[in-house]
Amino acid sequence: MVYYLIVCRSLTYAQRTAAALERAGITAHILRSPKSISGEGCSHSVKVSERYLADALVVLSRVGLTPKRIFIIASDGSYKEVRLL
Amino acid sequence: MIYLDSAATTLQKPPAVAQAVTRAMKCMASPGRGGHRPAMLAAETAFACRQAAARLFHMDNPEQVVLTFNATHGLNLAIKTLVRPGDTVLISGYEHNAVTRPLAAIGGVTIRTARSPLFQPEELLRSFAAQMTPEVSCVICTHVSNVFGYILPVEEIALLCRRRGVPFVLDASQSAGCLPVDMAELGAAFAAMPGHKGLYGPQGTGLLLCGGGAVRTLLEGGTGSASLQQEMPEFLPDRLEAGTHNIPGAAGLLEGLRFVLRKGTGTILRHEQGLCARAAEGLARMDGVTVFAAPSPEGQGGVLSFTAEGTDCEDVGQALGRMGIAVRAGLHCAPLAHCTAGTLETGTVRVSFSAFNTPQEVDRFLCAVRSLFRLKRR
Repeated sequence: MVYYLIVCRSLTYAQRTAAALERAGITAHILRSPKSISGEGCSHSVKVSERYLADALVVLSRVGLTPKRIFIIASDGSYKEVRLL
Repeated sequence: MIYLDSAATTLQKPPAVAQAVTRAMKCMASPGRGGHRPAMLAAETAFACRQAAARLFHMDNPEQVVLTFNATHGLNLAIKTLVRPGDTVLISGYEHNAVTRPLAAIGGVTIRTARSPLFQPEELLRSFAAQMTPEVSCVICTHVSNVFGYILPVEEIALLCRRRGVPFVLDASQSAGCLPVDMAELGAAFAAMPGHKGLYGPQGTGLLLCGGGAVRTLLEGGTGSASLQQEMPEFLPDRLEAGTHNIPGAAGLLEGLRFVLRKGTGTILRHEQGLCARAAEGLARMDGVTVFAAPSPEGQGGVLSFTAEGTDCEDVGQALGRMGIAVRAGLHCAPLAHCTAGTLETGTVRVSFSAFNTPQEVDRFLCAVRSLFRLKRR
């Protein structure tokens, strides 16, 4: 399975993000951001399946939540930032 | 024991509160400080507590709910964010030391006081309106007097502030859990409240509801976020929550909030007002007793003060304590309120109620007071 990580500015923001996605029927898990992508130090991310990312972004936009950055977990386990157009 | 000191701390709590505290101590670690199960459980609890508070106080965003140690902590955050030396601040004549002492500590603050006799909200509102001149940079008002139970017209005062563009701080210490506190409607900059009174949480808990805008920190330290920065994060709640959280407290407070949400603030208020009116009526029939009661029960929360001619209020409190009735006597950390009401010299005996008190307890309290004064007259 391919997953995306939505990096959030804080744990509470990640919880709001996950709660909004769960309310929309999108499975979302909160985890500590991997060190290599956490940017300013410790942060939390919300993990969603590849097939739900587009829907997730629509839901988040609707409730006014802005992802800080989004990464895809590549097949070799590395993280690659996804640029949103 | 009959416990009538809920304006200080509610003693009887829903059983789920203590159970949640125990469970948190056994199973939960610190939110944001690890990805393991105990840390995540703690995170879920803190978030659920913020969500429940946001629901009760009509806030869209649980990030604006800051977990504090008590109402004093929240008021200090609010006041020290908004007030600088040289500012002019308008407060009611019924404020607690939790408001007046931080203002005094800032130094160089001009404090204006809107006064009115007890239970005259229209007159108080007129006083606020008259004194809210352009120099006033902040208004702070208690929702319910912790001494007299007087319900202040905070919705109207908040409206005056909105019209004049002045930030409004609400001290909801005696109202949270029994009166509507609607942050969306009030448009307050902040509302501070304890967790351990009408929200039925444990001591050492409180909430600061933030209406928006920048906030100043009182403490700096680890937040589990943006760790590379040496400045505190700009975003809430992290900005105001440095250091390890009181998670057992938050777990207990969550259960208290759930209790209030289930029961409804209106039901709790009517219950407390009924007990208060019963006590006032009984006390008013006793010779030499002065009762500070609103003309109609709707004007007063579940807090009632009285004095007895020729008897020191502390002696009454002590004697009732020996008879197994817990009340509070003295100035109740609110000398300004006593000054406004004219009871600074005598202090008062205060009885205060919670959702767990009964009319039978009020009757036993009245019986005890009656017997006390009968003995004294002999």
